[in-house]
Amino acid sequence: MNQRCAVVGVGQTNFKKRRDDVSIAGLLREAIDRALEDAEVSIKDIDAVVIGKAPDAFEGIVQPEIFLADALGAVNKPLLRVHTAGSVGGSTFVVGAHHVITGIHDRVLAVAWEKQSEGNAQWGLAGGRSGGIGAGGAFAPWMRAYIEESGAPEYIGWMVAVKDRRNAAKNPYAHLKMPDITLETVKESPMLWDPIRFHESCPSSDGACAVVLTNEEGARRAPRPSAWVHALAVRSELGQFPGRNPVRPQAGVECAHDVYRQAGITDPRAQIDMAELYVPFSWYEPMWLEGHDIAGPGEGWKMVDSGETDIGGAFPVNPSGGVLSTNAIGASGMVRFAEVALQVRGLAGEHQIDGVRTGLAQAYGGAAQYFAMGVMRSEPPE
Amino acid sequence: MSDTAAAAKKEELVMEHLVSLTYKERLTPNLNRFVDQLLDGHLVGHKCPACGRVYLPPKGYCPMCVVATGESDEVEVSDHGIMTGFTIVTPVAYYGQQETQPFVHASVLLNGADTPLGGQDIIGIPHDQLRMGLRVRAVWKPKAERRIEGISNRGWGGLGSVIEAFEATGEPDAGPEEFKEHIF
Amino acid sequence: MPVSENDIAIIGFAQTPCVRDADASEVQLLVPTVSEAIAHAGIDRREIGFTCAGSCDYLTGGPFAFVSNLEAAGAWPPISESHVEADGAFAMYEAWMRLLEGDIELALAFGSGKSSPSNPAEVWPQQLDPYYLAPLGVDPISLAGIQARALIDSGKATERDFAEVVARSRRNAKDNPNAQLAGDVDVDALLAEPYVRAPLRKHDVPPISDGAVAVIMARGQRAKDLCSRPVWIRGIDHRIEAHQPGVRDITTSASTTLAARKAGYDGGPIDVVELSSTFSSQEVVLRDALGLSADANINPSGGPLAGNPIMAVGLVRIVEAAARIMNGSADRALAHATGGQLLQQNLVCLLEGE
Repeated sequence: MNQRCAVVGVGQTNFKKRRDDVSIAGLLREAIDRALEDAEVSIKDIDAVVIGKAPDAFEGIVQPEIFLADALGAVNKPLLRVHTAGSVGGSTFVVGAHHVITGIHDRVLAVAWEKQSEGNAQWGLAGGRSGGIGAGGAFAPWMRAYIEESGAPEYIGWMVAVKDRRNAAKNPYAHLKMPDITLETVKESPMLWDPIRFHESCPSSDGACAVVLTNEEGARRAPRPSAWVHALAVRSELGQFPGRNPVRPQAGVECAHDVYRQAGITDPRAQIDMAELYVPFSWYEPMWLEGHDIAGPGEGWKMVDSGETDIGGAFPVNPSGGVLSTNAIGASGMVRFAEVALQVRGLAGEHQIDGVRTGLAQAYGGAAQYFAMGVMRSEPPE
Repeated sequence: MSDTAAAAKKEELVMEHLVSLTYKERLTPNLNRFVDQLLDGHLVGHKCPACGRVYLPPKGYCPMCVVATGESDEVEVSDHGIMTGFTIVTPVAYYGQQETQPFVHASVLLNGADTPLGGQDIIGIPHDQLRMGLRVRAVWKPKAERRIEGISNRGWGGLGSVIEAFEATGEPDAGPEEFKEHIF
Repeated sequence: MPVSENDIAIIGFAQTPCVRDADASEVQLLVPTVSEAIAHAGIDRREIGFTCAGSCDYLTGGPFAFVSNLEAAGAWPPISESHVEADGAFAMYEAWMRLLEGDIELALAFGSGKSSPSNPAEVWPQQLDPYYLAPLGVDPISLAGIQARALIDSGKATERDFAEVVARSRRNAKDNPNAQLAGDVDVDALLAEPYVRAPLRKHDVPPISDGAVAVIMARGQRAKDLCSRPVWIRGIDHRIEAHQPGVRDITTSASTTLAARKAGYDGGPIDVVELSSTFSSQEVVLRDALGLSADANINPSGGPLAGNPIMAVGLVRIVEAAARIMNGSADRALAHATGGQLLQQNLVCLLEGE
């Protein structure tokens, strides 16, 4: 008999380029302790730990959760390490939730992290070879294809970059704080991967994000409102094959429709109050709006242009500042789910959107081939 | 929490730990043959016996049908093709990086293949004239200079030690219908 | 016996022979293995509701290395799929858990690893505490040697005990077409060999192996419809201990005992036990942890000493146990997988035929 699942605690680190003030264990504990505090439980109340991060090569430690078992409070408990490339923070949330939904465990800690400053992510992304193109280099040709096919004006990417950094200024945990950023700032910034400019790209951050997941019984005892899980799905597709559409990956379309179906959503644009979508490069906002059928083909960029995705708009996207403002790669997917949870719990502070009852979280990874998505609401499912 | 803050005020301890790991993996039998043929100036892929799609370089299986492919499925493809997607990368410094100038990173769909070659350089054309659909042909290194350096099972690194780049042929561009399903 | 919709069984599997150095790449090992497991289960690939893979990027030799393995899963059209940076046995755990949600009936789990391209003594120290242990460069064999020494000093084992484990492993492996090391060896001859890391000798240490393994699980009535003798997973659990070897008793395996109990193993009769006792000395630890009698049927496949495809080896133990239930030669089996060094993390699976 499946259990309902709720987020009753959220913790994030203060994301920065270098967290030289903490070890990896210290970084994780900052997020974990905040999540436990939010839920008003102790590590003893946690039955299992699910942990995710991006490739181990980013820090140079093989399966680091093994040495971190003590710091994670996982001794004598199950510890499972999820690794699904960039989507991992999201899939870690999903796997953590499954532990609760199946009734195997009552209270689960799901945590995702990256301490990129301790290694070299560009080296890692390059497979340790010269001529690395980074993540942006892989995605730039697809963003170019979207721009050409949709006919979107070039400033759309700049608008997304400005919006997200201004949102981040209201988020105490976000890495980049650029409250005075303008379209000109973005337009004048150096080209990194034509057509993507420096300020249209995510930073490299150290940080972690943790959530406490529990069942209805646990939620009832929680001191603050819960974020109820209404839908979860993961989808993967081959990264390269003849006929693939990497601009609008089928796996992303199907993942979205799976969560909409589970959550009883027939009109996502109308029935979802806000979304945290994994947007590491500006153009991915309109691309995911279309890629998850929130906007019709060629209409995603118009939602940006009209201000609909602004924090005060009809369909706010990434009120937290998103991946464009904070990107500890392994953690970013979890942050999307955590931020949606905060929104439906009414606990997002200065970047809280009024009246949020339904939120959509999405993370993607690899060659835009891995997707993890979820819908959370203020009220439990029927 | 206050313990962490107090610790932050203490002296920072940073230790450098440089690790070097060596992996030696032989090229798979199918890539071995591919490389022999490549050194000889031939681009030979595998055609899936089930769906007929041509993979270059060959994987030894068709990932869509999940069936094995082998020597009996070999088919030669042209060294002329279409650039189906590209970006210009501004290199960043990291350990082992040798690039210093912006470089092209393009996908090239060769005539006869169903999968494009990734990570190709396009030369002889100003960067601002690059566009999707550009018709290109391979620029082969002279036979005596061809090496297999950089070719691996993992697909990291292109064929740069044999085909150093592609160049425009001057023919009219291909229309989107010819390449939009093969941009990656 | 009526089956509940929460009962999950293994109904198909396949593995590659363990070899020192495969010509095939890791994904090329997986492609036919996954296909064979699917065929063994008698299902269509597209019926699989969830797939989970287990592998280790640092073993394969590159960040995102696991992504290539997706091609073995048949990921087009898109599939519901995930991956753990761990042995395939942990991937099976995640897939088993997903099946329990009741909306899907079939799941695929696989594990793979090629140890041949790298030097284990270089790679696995990087799995240790990066501040205190990794810089010492202490390799898995040295750690196991320390554990073996502790076993002898505590009176729990002798070098002869280790040699007897090896002799039995090699002898059993003669019946295993997938084993890498098999044959009749004399215990005294083994004991005459030089140490590699005293008190361990070369044969106490597993071979370097490449391999892949896949299983298909079915839920409830579907398992009975597809398989005449499904291998029911009565329980499966995994636990981890503290990392630093100095803070725990490495002559015991508390997490194995705990995982076995949580998996529902009550100490009753067991026909087959497949243990991921990577080193001969570790079999002593695991036997004690599981309270197995001296005549327990341990590693009839030969175990990791006969073939050690890291990242697949734990799931191979589950498959070897399952195979013996499926062919009717066993009714009840325990299978064990491990993670980290010195048995830091352990998974135990209790399997039963009807």
